[in-house]
Amino acid sequence: MSNIYIYNNNLISLLNLVDFLLQKKIKPDNIKDNSFNASLLDRTIILNLKEDENIIGKIINKLNAKIFNIIYYIYLSNQENKELIIYYFLLNAYKYPDKILALRNLRCVNLSLKIAKQVSNEAHKLKGFVRFKELDNKVLYAKINPDNNVLFLLAKHFKRRLPHEYFMIHDINRKILALYDKKEIYLINENNLDLKKLKESENEKEMENLWKSFYQTIGIKERKNEKCRMNFMPKKYWQYIIEMSEEL
Amino acid sequence: MEIKEKLEILADSAKYDASCSSSGSKRQSQFGNTSFSGICHSFASDGRCISLLKILMTNCCIFDCAYCLNRKSNNIKRATFTPEEICSIALNFYRRNYIEGLFLSSGIIKNPDYTMELLIKTITLLRKKYHFGGYIHAKAIPNCSPILLKQLGNLVDRLSANIELPTENGLKLLAPNKQGSNIEKIMKYVKENKAKNFVPAGQSTQMIIGATRESDLDIMNKSERMYQNYDLKRVFYSAYVSVNKSSLLPTLTTPPLKREHRLYQADWLLRYYNFKVKDILDEDTPNFNLLIDPKAFWALKHLDEFPKEINTASYYDLLKIPGIGVTSAKRIMNSRKHFKIMFKDLKTMGVVLKRAKYFITCNQQYFTNRTFFNQKFIETNLIMEENNITKPKIEQLSLFDE
Repeated sequence: MSNIYIYNNNLISLLNLVDFLLQKKIKPDNIKDNSFNASLLDRTIILNLKEDENIIGKIINKLNAKIFNIIYYIYLSNQENKELIIYYFLLNAYKYPDKILALRNLRCVNLSLKIAKQVSNEAHKLKGFVRFKELDNKVLYAKINPDNNVLFLLAKHFKRRLPHEYFMIHDINRKILALYDKKEIYLINENNLDLKKLKESENEKEMENLWKSFYQTIGIKERKNEKCRMNFMPKKYWQYIIEMSEEL
Repeated sequence: MEIKEKLEILADSAKYDASCSSSGSKRQSQFGNTSFSGICHSFASDGRCISLLKILMTNCCIFDCAYCLNRKSNNIKRATFTPEEICSIALNFYRRNYIEGLFLSSGIIKNPDYTMELLIKTITLLRKKYHFGGYIHAKAIPNCSPILLKQLGNLVDRLSANIELPTENGLKLLAPNKQGSNIEKIMKYVKENKAKNFVPAGQSTQMIIGATRESDLDIMNKSERMYQNYDLKRVFYSAYVSVNKSSLLPTLTTPPLKREHRLYQADWLLRYYNFKVKDILDEDTPNFNLLIDPKAFWALKHLDEFPKEINTASYYDLLKIPGIGVTSAKRIMNSRKHFKIMFKDLKTMGVVLKRAKYFITCNQQYFTNRTFFNQKFIETNLIMEENNITKPKIEQLSLFDE
């Protein structure tokens, strides 16, 4: 029988649960969110802990912001068993608060740093690869298909960059959108929006064509290097990069 | 002329400038900001990053440089953007997140000051009328008045002037209207006027590789001097692409990309690894080996300094090891305070073990029998590694070994 601890699909709930388990010195076999389908060999345990937001401040105070950020990035990853990785990373962080980030010989530390890096790399790449289309109401709309849940990180980036524009970023893989109304960012489920109603603005196609012709022109034929391009701009992102989608 | 055709002509004319970086500046405005680490938005068919809308204001030019597509004696279609046209494209592209900003260069029309004034007018519109806060890299026009350099520098993130060739002789031959001293005057001015709001991302320059007979030693000496004298952020190297037919120019079917790559590697050694040009090139070997990268080549020549012990070598000694970079050297320094580093740990620190293993020991252990620690063995393996040659071809390789 495996003991599976269940949290309410959000970071605060997860951190409160992990904190509780660490305090009580309980070693979970796994930790899963509440959409988990248990098998006959699993015993799911729901503790109904309070979702106390102070947990973030507590972690940052006891450790530091850098360590908290790593935990947050692991949480955003699509890594299997990421909750258990966070549990063991925190366990070690409390044990070695001053040197945890240097202890790359510990498997869980090395893995945690690797996952956090992957997430931050993907967020960074997409800051460049996002392609907004202008809708007929001047709202900017972009579709993305990231491996990790980097939507909120991206929305924060564009909020700083385009504070006076309305925009929507649509994570096709997770079926969620980030909306920005020139004040705040909202995350909503795609079912709450009638996406069929969205219409491109009149000169949107013209702008896209202008960009595509710039893209075609700027490459130097004598230096053509397909492999190098693919390394930097993996094919999995091409679908929503307008200058690339036709090459698929 | 349609805007699309103009864009094609003026992007085509600008594409041989290698610089496209968008890093090193912290700017925030109502419409746009810069990212200190820079952001690549796309990658062209040649694998080069696209972060900026790279265009010329005009491809008309009063100069007649032999290597340049826009030389006045070339019979090509000419076009000129108006400042408003450039603003419109840049703002529309930026808003859709196609680009991180603008790279604006220009052929020289009428005279240097007139051209500079057009560049300043365009960028002033962007910054003042449209409150554009994205990244702007502008070219300074040689021989313009210092007051115009000051004005332009106060508007842009990066300013650059291309030295193009490492020696005055090269310039005399191919660019009779250009003088290296005039380019360096610009660099000197930018350095001396360094301020928070004046060219915050620093200056850069570019050299063409393979259009003249100058050696890698000439090129790297020039780079080293410019880094020292003018605090350049970057020197770019651009493999020469034959765009013009001229008796002065070599006829190359393919650009010398491998040579360009070696120069970039060496440039990195100068900027981040504490190497001097005299460590890696001299009159007897004035050019880089195309089979082995400059750091490994250096290490093979100084094998008596190796193998280095990972757990005790100084930071600067770690940096001399092929396969170890700035990041991995720092991680090693950090980690070895807390535990003895073994071979298995090095991978987790980002060390490229397939190159580094020949030059190191971990806790006094060599990765294989110590008798293999000799130049021939290491050189052969490194060449095979870099050139993706698999084991059965060893026989052919002995050709290059001597």
